[in-house]
Amino acid sequence: MAGREAVKRAVQQVRPILSVDREEARKRALNLYKAWYRQIPYIVMDYDIPMTVEQCRDKLREEFVKHRNVTDIRVIDMLVIKGQMELKESVEIWKQKGHIMRYWKESQDPKPTDFLSKFIQGVN
Amino acid sequence: MSALRQVMCRSTASLQLYQANRAAAARWASTATDGGPLDPKTALARPEELEQRNKLSGKITVPTAVNLSPISGVPEEHIRERRVRIHIPPKNAMQSGTDNVNTWQIEFDNRERWENPLMGWASSGDPLSNMNVQFGSPEEAITFCERNGWRWYVDGAAKPKKERVKNYGINFAWNKRTRVSTK
Amino acid sequence: MIRAPLVKALGALGSPTHQMASRAVRTSAMVAQTPAKAPEKIEVFVDDIPVQVVPGTTVLQAAAQIGVEIPRFCYHERLAVAGNCRMCLVEVEKSPKPVAACAMPVMKGWRIKTNSDLTRKAREGVMEFLLMNHPLDCPICDQGGECDLQDQAMAFGSDRSRFTDINYTGKRAVEDKDIGPLVKTIMTRCIHCTRCVRFASEIAGVDDLGTTGRGNDMQIGTYVEKLFLTELSGNVIDLCPVGALTNKPYSFVARPWEIRKVSSIDVLDAVGSNIVVSTRTNEVLRILPRENEDVNEEWLADKSRFACDGLKRQRLVAPMVRMPNGELQAVEWEGALIAVAKAIKAAGGQIAGISGQLADLEAQVALKDLLNRLGSEVVATEQGFIAGGTDNRANYLLNSTIAGLEEADAVLLVGTNPRYEAPLVNTRLRKAYVHNELQIASIGPKIDLSYDHENLGADAALVKDVCSGAHAFSKVLEGAKKPAIIIGADLLERADGAAIHATVAEYCKKLKKPNWNPFNVLQTNAAQVGALDVGYKAGAQTAVKAQPKVLFLLNADAGKVTREQLPKDCFVVYIGSHGDNGASIADAVLPGAAYTEKQGIYVNTEGRPQQTLPGVSPPGMAREDWKILRALSEVVGKPLPYDNLDELRNRLEDVAPHLTRLGQLEPAGDAGAAGTISKSIGGGAIDIKLKELRDYFMTDAISRASPTMAKCISAVNKQQRENEAKQSVAI
Repeated sequence: MAGREAVKRAVQQVRPILSVDREEARKRALNLYKAWYRQIPYIVMDYDIPMTVEQCRDKLREEFVKHRNVTDIRVIDMLVIKGQMELKESVEIWKQKGHIMRYWKESQDPKPTDFLSKFIQGVN
Repeated sequence: MSALRQVMCRSTASLQLYQANRAAAARWASTATDGGPLDPKTALARPEELEQRNKLSGKITVPTAVNLSPISGVPEEHIRERRVRIHIPPKNAMQSGTDNVNTWQIEFDNRERWENPLMGWASSGDPLSNMNVQFGSPEEAITFCERNGWRWYVDGAAKPKKERVKNYGINFAWNKRTRVSTK
Repeated sequence: MIRAPLVKALGALGSPTHQMASRAVRTSAMVAQTPAKAPEKIEVFVDDIPVQVVPGTTVLQAAAQIGVEIPRFCYHERLAVAGNCRMCLVEVEKSPKPVAACAMPVMKGWRIKTNSDLTRKAREGVMEFLLMNHPLDCPICDQGGECDLQDQAMAFGSDRSRFTDINYTGKRAVEDKDIGPLVKTIMTRCIHCTRCVRFASEIAGVDDLGTTGRGNDMQIGTYVEKLFLTELSGNVIDLCPVGALTNKPYSFVARPWEIRKVSSIDVLDAVGSNIVVSTRTNEVLRILPRENEDVNEEWLADKSRFACDGLKRQRLVAPMVRMPNGELQAVEWEGALIAVAKAIKAAGGQIAGISGQLADLEAQVALKDLLNRLGSEVVATEQGFIAGGTDNRANYLLNSTIAGLEEADAVLLVGTNPRYEAPLVNTRLRKAYVHNELQIASIGPKIDLSYDHENLGADAALVKDVCSGAHAFSKVLEGAKKPAIIIGADLLERADGAAIHATVAEYCKKLKKPNWNPFNVLQTNAAQVGALDVGYKAGAQTAVKAQPKVLFLLNADAGKVTREQLPKDCFVVYIGSHGDNGASIADAVLPGAAYTEKQGIYVNTEGRPQQTLPGVSPPGMAREDWKILRALSEVVGKPLPYDNLDELRNRLEDVAPHLTRLGQLEPAGDAGAAGTISKSIGGGAIDIKLKELRDYFMTDAISRASPTMAKCISAVNKQQRENEAKQSVAI
């Protein structure tokens, strides 16, 4: 496996999606973040969700920080496109309250992470 | 194919550049001397816009190791905890046909299944258990797994078949050991 | 018809290659002198594609080389050519009639047409005849969906029938035969390919099946009414291209498109046969062989194939702890782990572990690591071996390799019955016997090995005789090109086992040839080689002698340890899948996974590590064995440093790197124990545990729990009673 990695070329030439360099991709991500940030008060109001604007902004930050390790420009572009779609669906009220609340995963039981509790519950 | 495409890209790029230059020249000189229609999109674009478009039709450099797991939509638990087995499906012992045993396949680790209490059908909570993708070589399968962020292992290389000599005459040989004892 | 050109071909092609090729017909001395030259290939054209083939190759094989599959029923790669189904007819240019591809050797420059009009017409004609005498049973036939006749009728069958029953006599019908509890027969479906007959006489070495009558009246049967009882009978089910012979325990259970197939490894003997586990809704339905040229070719022994219903019986589904009143009571995992942890704390390092027949390598490593962390070094396998002989890997392996035995030309069996201890090793020996002029002798009780062999006697002193070169068979061994001596693993448990081992090992150094190691030990337990590889001591008595306060039984069900041998206050922990001998003496029972439920490495008798894959999940609260030990280690407060299988495999790689190179063999050196063995071979007869077929069926926890295996034993007993009754009548 290691040998295979070494043989691989480190970089490749590909067709871009939206951005042609990292700086542009970063700008797009920031723009999306700002757009969400500005829309959050309206989303909270329109959907009447039991969350404060602050909590929503924390969640927004969390969703972006989750992908902080992504370096591939094309993957960043796709994430931005997906985020844009989410934003549009939220702003146009194509979603329902539950869809927004799903970001907090309130109804999901947290899965065990340590070996012993995984073992006792019998999850892989 | 890709080389061809590259050439084509380059030619469109240079064409656009050429048209952009001509448009700019026309605007500055405001002497409409050319013949043939101008593309309004090109004609009205700003130089930086043209440059962007030019770049977009070209190529960018990215690391070869692509990880598509953030955008593939597969839940995170199914990326981190699954092991993919890359293998050639075995021939069915009950049949003599060998048509389905020449390609490489990926297969995820097996999860629990149960009988559906309503209809008695087989149920599973595993969305990846039915994913049956075939590849021409293990390398392709490995690349696919790595792009999707799955851990993988290759099981069993294709072994060359032993050459057997078949001979109808053996059935009637003098050798008692090979002669057919029952018919 | 077919023979004539072939004989001519044999005469014409005097090249050394061809002689080597038809080795079975040889006059052996001549071939031995001919040096092996690079084969001179001839060119033929299959559908206008040129193919280079060795002279003597059949048309069918030449076509297979470029991936053209010619339909066939009677032809099978591993059986002799019969040439009686005629389905493989192909057109050859300038030949007036279509030729049977399976029996016809190619000639230089032949142009074979596998898809021409003539070929199609020939096949359609054959198919029409076959279907005329075949019932339209597909909807109620177990073979439906994986039937060669069904498949090929789709391609070559007519859409209407010309079969008109003008005399109203009905279609041909044949009475079904009862040939045992494993194979169900519906003889009307038989198309007389004779694959089963050839398998029985060539591979299994039992001439029970045969044909009677001719033409429309031909029947496959056992001549007189008797059961087809061999340890390989299940393979005729696979071989049968139609639904005439089907799997009796699996009849009407499932359709092939409903089941999921998982490639795995069989662990019921030490051969490590490759298998495919067919499952549906978390239930193992049947087990089929998987092709592996190095191990099981494409056969499977009956125990491995039919004992899978034992996976559903006698299972341990919840952790249990023995209550003060002496009863085992089901508890939650927390309770069980804490109870065991308390006992471990109280024992203060006086702990021992015994690993049994079905334990996987991961669990064995985890158990050893856990015990080492708790300050104990006493881990042993349940089956014994010679003391001090486990350091050298060659001492306990089948060094000639399973595939290698095919090439052997003189074999001595010492205290082993490969026919029942490892049926697929025996098929290799039989193959060598048939095709390689193998001479076999055995020391031990008189047994039926399915081929002729010389029984030298049962006295252990004979080993010394042969190994000193004084015995007549020594000459045979010394004169052989590839001699082999196979010692049974059970024999080495004897008091003078070490002496026998040393004597044979010494003699094998003399017999050694380049790339050929004649020293072999035939193991019977799938877990034994792996355990010895990772540093287990041999013999349950090693653990008993330590008089531990806590004793771990990892799948140890052979009943070699009894409560009486252990100290009164000894706390016995059983980890395993079945409620058998081990669980009955345990104070705490931790339910583990059987081999179809876990991903575990097993090392077979030739030292080849292979892994099982989970087809179903463990029943109830049962968990994978290594996870139980890992969880226990955390409760005890000495956590093992691996949380998932990959980390455990890394640890395994540190212990023994060759064990993670799955499917590959690591050649071992010369056998021979360290230090001098002073003991001499005592007298006394050598005995073998598995002497007859009835001893074969139940040898471990899974097969003991299997109702099918119980039926097999009663069938063997019934057959014997009937035979005795007949004999007494005759007298």
